[in-house]
Amino acid sequence: MTTRRQVLAGLLATGLTPRPSWADLGGPAFLSAAGLPDGGYALCGISAAHDVLFRLPLPTRGHAAAAHPTRPEAVAFARRPGTFALVIDCRTGDVRATLNAPTGRHFYGHGVFSQDGTRLYTTENDFEAGEGRIGIWDATQNYRRIAEIPSGGIGPHDIKRLPGKDTLVVANGGIETHPDSGRSKLNLPTMRPNLSYIDQGEVSEQIELTADLHKNSIRHLAVSASGEVAFAMQRQGDITDLPLLALHKRGTAPRLAQATSTDWRAMRGYIGSVAFSTSGLQLAVTSPRGGRVQLFDTQTATLQDQVQMADVCGVATTRDGLVVTSGTGAIRFLSGRTTPVPGLRWDNHLVAIRESST
Amino acid sequence: MRLIVLLLALMPLAALADTRQIVDTQILPGVTQLAERAETLHKTARQNCTPSMPLKDAYSTAFDAWVTISHLRFGPTETDDRAFALAFWPDSRGATPKALSKLISQSDPIAQTAQGYRDVSIAARGFYALEFLLYDPAFTDAGKPEYRCQLIQTMTADIALTTRAIAQDWHGSYATKLIDPSADGPYRTDQEVTQELFKALSTGLQFTSETRLGRPLGTFDKPRPLRAEARRSDRSLRHVELSLSALQSLALALASDAPELQGTLDQRFTKALEVAGRIQDPSFAGVADPASRLRVEALQSAVEAIRLTVGLDLASHLGVSAGFNALDGD
Repeated sequence: MTTRRQVLAGLLATGLTPRPSWADLGGPAFLSAAGLPDGGYALCGISAAHDVLFRLPLPTRGHAAAAHPTRPEAVAFARRPGTFALVIDCRTGDVRATLNAPTGRHFYGHGVFSQDGTRLYTTENDFEAGEGRIGIWDATQNYRRIAEIPSGGIGPHDIKRLPGKDTLVVANGGIETHPDSGRSKLNLPTMRPNLSYIDQGEVSEQIELTADLHKNSIRHLAVSASGEVAFAMQRQGDITDLPLLALHKRGTAPRLAQATSTDWRAMRGYIGSVAFSTSGLQLAVTSPRGGRVQLFDTQTATLQDQVQMADVCGVATTRDGLVVTSGTGAIRFLSGRTTPVPGLRWDNHLVAIRESST
Repeated sequence: MRLIVLLLALMPLAALADTRQIVDTQILPGVTQLAERAETLHKTARQNCTPSMPLKDAYSTAFDAWVTISHLRFGPTETDDRAFALAFWPDSRGATPKALSKLISQSDPIAQTAQGYRDVSIAARGFYALEFLLYDPAFTDAGKPEYRCQLIQTMTADIALTTRAIAQDWHGSYATKLIDPSADGPYRTDQEVTQELFKALSTGLQFTSETRLGRPLGTFDKPRPLRAEARRSDRSLRHVELSLSALQSLALALASDAPELQGTLDQRFTKALEVAGRIQDPSFAGVADPASRLRVEALQSAVEAIRLTVGLDLASHLGVSAGFNALDGD
């Protein structure tokens, strides 16, 4: 008897199978790393209805993931200074390939695909040189490492791509670390974070904020459909009322977000994630330390609304609205229903995997 | 049933730090001692700027006072980057010797006054920069003797000014802000104060384990003895011991209303200090030698054991452990 599996195997052998795409996916709408009750870690696939569809055990704590623009495939990264990343089949949660950082490099936990999906770009630390790198991997050849380029600064963290282009935008957090000294920060008094745009392997534009903001480490990014970049920051040292969020459109000056001293202080110097609403009219930022989500009007860059939620950190954009997750296991439509997942502690980032193809 | 509900309602959610006791017995005496000893260091340098015993002694005494409060990284130490101006370390790219070489080779007149010296690279200020001029043969003979002397006198004056500013701010108003939090102060509630003190303890332990010990240890295949803190003056191990003693006092105070936890913490600190006491390698020069490396690794494990108790038990006692993400920092 010919089984379905054999038929599929035969089709695969002849190369006649249609390539699977995100449209085939009845499965997860989000990926998120999580902490487990036994102290272990996992990567979870979460449905649009907020059910956990799979839990893939991870050897260490995860961080973020990057979704392939066409194939139902994503790459999940270890938390810094991790040296592995897993290529996941998002229909099943199976691991298809493992990326290992080259000797002398570690991942920062974020990555992004090229527009055509043939290349994966990863933020990395060249820790002997104390310089940021972008690793380039060939997604058509089982994620073979093919090259690396300078990130334009120290401590590159988040990386995104501008819509409809292969321009990369990198948050160079400015903080030097070395795996020999764990997560200890080595250069706080002299740190200089920046936002760098990279075209064809070269830094084509670089934004630095004023000197009084040099200890606000530029860490996480969101890109609107029109190509505006929101960058969220993390304060090193005492909490201040300096802005933790700014917007930038290429070729113009950055716009610092506006909120009262009390509202900035309530974020405890720390934004964990940032996302635009589907309309692009709002920008959501989360602070697990402040236990709150703040919503900014993107036209005026001013604070509009805020929501309290313990240990909130992940935020993702969906057609049905913004969704946030917390270290207490909650998945919540910002404007409504909360789904608690007992025992799981959602990690830093919630990645919407089907909405990412621009 | 009603009684249970009532009892639960009366129980505090989490313990709060006895802030006043910590301020009065640890912080204020600590910053005062630092300012006084830094003043003595400066006076000594003015009398005799040669890198010999009286100056080295005064340097050592003042540096001890800094290390003893170096975990209190909030408020007065952070204003104008004062803590970094006293302690630019780790210096992963060698910025301190580079900045000093430049000053000395040009006999840069910026070193004429302490006020002017505030504008030099922060890497050329403070105890770690001064160590090069007092202990490193590449600097004790570099450039003109008069310039070296002036540089030492100006650096000690700068240290004295910085430490005095820290002490004045603590005594002036910051102690009150910590003891009596208010809506318009840096701390709105006692819980936020407790969190700050807990953070000082946990990041202090992290710094001692990962940086003071972790940097020279490197990896087994690639030990890094030249990265040890203040190795030129043979102070690397001493800094671990001084910081552990100071952190022990803070940890015990934070656990003052939980005798059992306090006992466990005391045991762990005492154990780590014992392990440190058995090491006969003041600058961790032996981290490349398997036998002496083992002793430094044992010390790091003992500090990690403290971190575990602090991160789990003390955090949960103080109610600061809620955040899987809040504590992550990434």
